[in-house]
Amino acid sequence: MKKELKFKVNGQPYDIFVKPKTLLSEVLRNDLGLTGTKRGCNSSSCGACTVMLNGMSVKSCSVLALQANGAEVVTVEGLAKGNKLSLLQRAFLDHGSYQCGFCTPGMLMSSTALLTENPKPNKEEIKEGIDGNICRCTGYNSIIRAITAVVKGEYKEAK
Amino acid sequence: MTTKFSVLGQRVHNIDGTEKVTGSAKYTFDVVLPNMLYGKVLRSPYPHAKILKIDTSKAKRLIGVKAVVTGKDTLGRKQGIWRRFPELCDEEILCREKARYIGDPVAAVAAIDEDTAEEALDLIEVEYEPLPAVFDPMEAIKEDAPQVHDGVELNININRHIEWGDVDEAFKKCDHIREDQYKCSSQAHVCMETHDAVASFGHNGKLTVWTSTQSSYYIQRLYADMLDIRESDIRVMNRHTGGGFGSKFELDSAQFCAAILSQKLCQPVKIVLTREEEFIATKRRTPMYYALKLGATKDGKLLAKEARVITEGGAYTAMGATALYLTGFFSSFPYKYPNYRYDGYRVYTNTETTSAMRGFGAPQSTFVGESQLDMMAEDLGIDPIEIRRKNGMTPNYEVPGQAFIQSCGLHQCLDKIEDHIKKRGKLPANHGVGVSAYGFMSGGIFNWFNTPYAFSAAVVKINIDGKVDLYTGACDIGQGSNTTLAMICAEELGVKLEDIRVFSGDTGICPPDLGAWGSRETLMNGNAVKRAAADCKRQLLEFAAAKMGANIVYDLDIKDHWVHLVDRPERGVSYFDIVKEAIRGKDGNAIMGRGYYTPHRKGMISPAYSFGVQVAEVAVDVETGRYKLVNVTTAHESGTVVNPVGIEGQLEGAIMMAGGYGYCEDQPMDDGKILNPSIADYKLIRSLDMPETEILEIDTYEPEGPFGAKEAGEGLTNPTAGAIGNAIYKAVGVRINDLPITPEKVFKALRENEKKKAK
Amino acid sequence: MIKDFEHFAPKTLKEALALLDKYQDDCKVICGGQSLLVLMRQGLVAPPYMVDIKGIAELSYIKDEKDGLKIGATTTHRAIEKSAIIKKKYPVLAKMETRLASIQTRNWGTIGGNVCHGDPAGDPMPVFIALNATLTMTGSKGKRSMPAEDFSLDYFETALGPGELLTEIALPVVPANTGTAYYKFNVIESDLATVSVAATVTLGTGDSCQDIRIALGASAPTPIRPKKAEAILKGKKITDALLAQAGEAAAAEADPISDIYASEEYRRELIKVLVPRLTKEAMANAKSK
Repeated sequence: MKKELKFKVNGQPYDIFVKPKTLLSEVLRNDLGLTGTKRGCNSSSCGACTVMLNGMSVKSCSVLALQANGAEVVTVEGLAKGNKLSLLQRAFLDHGSYQCGFCTPGMLMSSTALLTENPKPNKEEIKEGIDGNICRCTGYNSIIRAITAVVKGEYKEAK
Repeated sequence: MTTKFSVLGQRVHNIDGTEKVTGSAKYTFDVVLPNMLYGKVLRSPYPHAKILKIDTSKAKRLIGVKAVVTGKDTLGRKQGIWRRFPELCDEEILCREKARYIGDPVAAVAAIDEDTAEEALDLIEVEYEPLPAVFDPMEAIKEDAPQVHDGVELNININRHIEWGDVDEAFKKCDHIREDQYKCSSQAHVCMETHDAVASFGHNGKLTVWTSTQSSYYIQRLYADMLDIRESDIRVMNRHTGGGFGSKFELDSAQFCAAILSQKLCQPVKIVLTREEEFIATKRRTPMYYALKLGATKDGKLLAKEARVITEGGAYTAMGATALYLTGFFSSFPYKYPNYRYDGYRVYTNTETTSAMRGFGAPQSTFVGESQLDMMAEDLGIDPIEIRRKNGMTPNYEVPGQAFIQSCGLHQCLDKIEDHIKKRGKLPANHGVGVSAYGFMSGGIFNWFNTPYAFSAAVVKINIDGKVDLYTGACDIGQGSNTTLAMICAEELGVKLEDIRVFSGDTGICPPDLGAWGSRETLMNGNAVKRAAADCKRQLLEFAAAKMGANIVYDLDIKDHWVHLVDRPERGVSYFDIVKEAIRGKDGNAIMGRGYYTPHRKGMISPAYSFGVQVAEVAVDVETGRYKLVNVTTAHESGTVVNPVGIEGQLEGAIMMAGGYGYCEDQPMDDGKILNPSIADYKLIRSLDMPETEILEIDTYEPEGPFGAKEAGEGLTNPTAGAIGNAIYKAVGVRINDLPITPEKVFKALRENEKKKAK
Repeated sequence: MIKDFEHFAPKTLKEALALLDKYQDDCKVICGGQSLLVLMRQGLVAPPYMVDIKGIAELSYIKDEKDGLKIGATTTHRAIEKSAIIKKKYPVLAKMETRLASIQTRNWGTIGGNVCHGDPAGDPMPVFIALNATLTMTGSKGKRSMPAEDFSLDYFETALGPGELLTEIALPVVPANTGTAYYKFNVIESDLATVSVAATVTLGTGDSCQDIRIALGASAPTPIRPKKAEAILKGKKITDALLAQAGEAAAAEADPISDIYASEEYRRELIKVLVPRLTKEAMANAKSK
């Protein structure tokens, strides 16, 4: 029997009904059509499904959708404002911090959560910040460089 | 030779970048079509078994199930990548009579959703007759071993022999000979996007497929073989693909089963393999047993090398035959051996098929070769860099009867690494640095796939607004081929990167290309693209020449949208104007250019090779055997650098993957069952484990490649395991000859060393 | 594939306990779900009823009281990791959290969920044992408490009774001259422990060990206290030779498995090395106060 789920995603309120077994990642992808969030494993290990829930990074494959009741969720689709990319998105582009791109949404969400909580992390903290996300293509260092560039203030908000 | 380029060498955004960082890039994983069903595959739980009976009736009756198929619903054909040799096309995919490994598909279901499909799998009743199975190639090669495929003696799937000179005579002349044995492990690709496909048969019998692939052409051709449909009635489209690394250019169970189901239903069917299926039922790196004999003079001149290899083939041939060949060839790299002999045997076993994985047999040959070479250097009292210098390949070297190496920057790489080691200076206790050198191919010259097409082809079209459409069969799997090829196109045409729009990996509209494997796209498709762009340029210049009426002695060229006289660049006209006039001149048709490339008379392996030297620094905890990867520095050359951001990304990514091969990745098995089929249990290097990386570029120019470019991406996975092994030896004096080099192995070796010293 | 269930989200402990009493063996408790959902997705656990206690605010707290620190069972790992009072008074707990799984897991997963999962390789339990923690369980009939070291009974089996929820973990005030250290040995930094060791040392006069508590993780079906090893060190002046003896004793008391990551023999060898190391580290922590 479906239960009501009322929550906000990328600033947009939703009021839908879901089976209790539904995972947050499934609601986002299947019910709301936000396919940016990916699924890469079945053991809550890869981080490709990372979103922000009430400002914290979580693995959406390991959160029951109903637990997001009343919460504010941000997915990769919510990082840019219209056609203005976020500072991290711009830094990722400049530093080639993606290749196949499958882990990239999750990586951006972890990075965004990291800088939201701590705008001036040191290198070790940056590494910790993305340690929950596996990337098979980049070897992580270009991602760390992109985050570092944002931390150093190399990017300013576009007008 | 360096020229000033307008586009090549620039640090650019990957042309797919914005889609990827905004999450709008669509992968096969994201494809949803109207009326689409979801499929699941039932797989053999036995490593070797006859399939006696399959009862699908209960599954068919489950509400929501639309079709259940078995091998009996197929034409019963077998396929394989080595199409030129029918005996090597040994994989049915959906098994009819026999399952040969745990995970071999026996049935598939299409249902209204994934959960229903999965539930239906449990309702399919299969009666198996388990057969004796064999897992170790050393056992499988014995007389009394169970036969994996009928009529294959001693389970020897294929053997390879490479030889030049007289190895036996040469060993007699050596001052010092070493004989060593090694075991190289398996490795899983762990693409972030698992194998997936959406197959859609129309009522007209035509098949359209969206799939995650490295070669849409190979998949198209193999579908045609298996389904007995005309190749041209099949359209395969590569979406954004979440990684390949060698796992995705063979017809797989997701693709095949989705097609069989769709054919029955005339509805689209989507199959996405679970991560567990990805680990146990796709393909993996070839484990190898290596016996190496190396002979040298007392001053370090290598005279002879003999390599004998047995590889664990797994259940089917796949690309394992290529890995067998390449490991034998690259065992001679990157040194000049006057005498060399290789004998390799690929042996069938009842385990997951071993096939292509980034490096393709060369990470294995480099690990064993570089480990042994360091020991030889120590035996002779020669510095590890020096012995490599003494024997390293040089430009314009011929590997006797095998290959001709044009550009080669190996020695410059050795110099740079030597400097780096000197600068590092005195190391703290229990730290060590280890060196490893490699050379790798830029695509293969072989046509065992038996294609009638040029290996790479491209079409370039210039539209009225001067924007350019590039059609290429090359598949971008994240390595950035769309961007690299667009850069080559822009450079040749004299336009900007943002003027190029790329259509790639779609067999419906792009000319065939063999795909993204063997590190071939930059050189082979790059050449095709350059030629296609040159064709367009020539047509434009014809109009420009006529318009400008310059003296016949002058050449024209295009750079930065400026069509000009090469010797008087201030004299010219706008590219945009010429485009308009040329299209008018061609009766209103867009300017189209074609280009293609197939290597001819380029030896037995590849038209060009890239080289490099890597040094790894490790810090060992001698009490526990655990070690940290502190730094990995690589000097490498890949000819003209087209896309520097791309190359850096390839290198750092390669270190994660190749470092993992040396350090922690493995697929232990118990009676053919892979024991760690999840990302939680299969250990991967994460950001906290990644070493500091440094790249030292060497400038070279490869005449065979577009603008002098050659491969960078696969070769870089070759050296790291060897560098780690050598570093550990230098740090604490233990040599581990079987991968991965785990802390437990280091610990045991250290304790044994202590016992020996105590005596 | 997860089998569907009926989902209850009680807002109070009382409501939750009533649901547990009603559905008994047919229900499972979910909080952060970081362990449970993995099991459910693999089809290993499929309860018809789910009591979701994530929203019970009264169970999420970190209270610094006169008799020690009280942590509510639904407190997230991340809250513990970031807690100023924990960093100050029980820094080993915060440090342990920094390498527990990933930030994402710690943001949603809870300390109670981790402890009740009963994985002998789990990070928190050896630390709680070393810190002499007391766990409190509450059922509709009342509360009961026990030392942390008595809570784990077997692989993935705890002393939690039917109708009970773990509600609080209490840490006593750290005695003077006392330090605790924790380390987990693994190959990948944030991975589960191959073996782990936690040690608390209370220093006596002249570098002697007045009191010692050692806890081993991933060394037996449950976290264990190698009491023979402790006895070798307790009340003695600490020397390398004594530490080596204690390491040997601890390795002999352990009952580790052989698996694809490490052999039993290697795990014992690691214990031999790590017990002395962690004891020294605990001593150093005690001195630095």
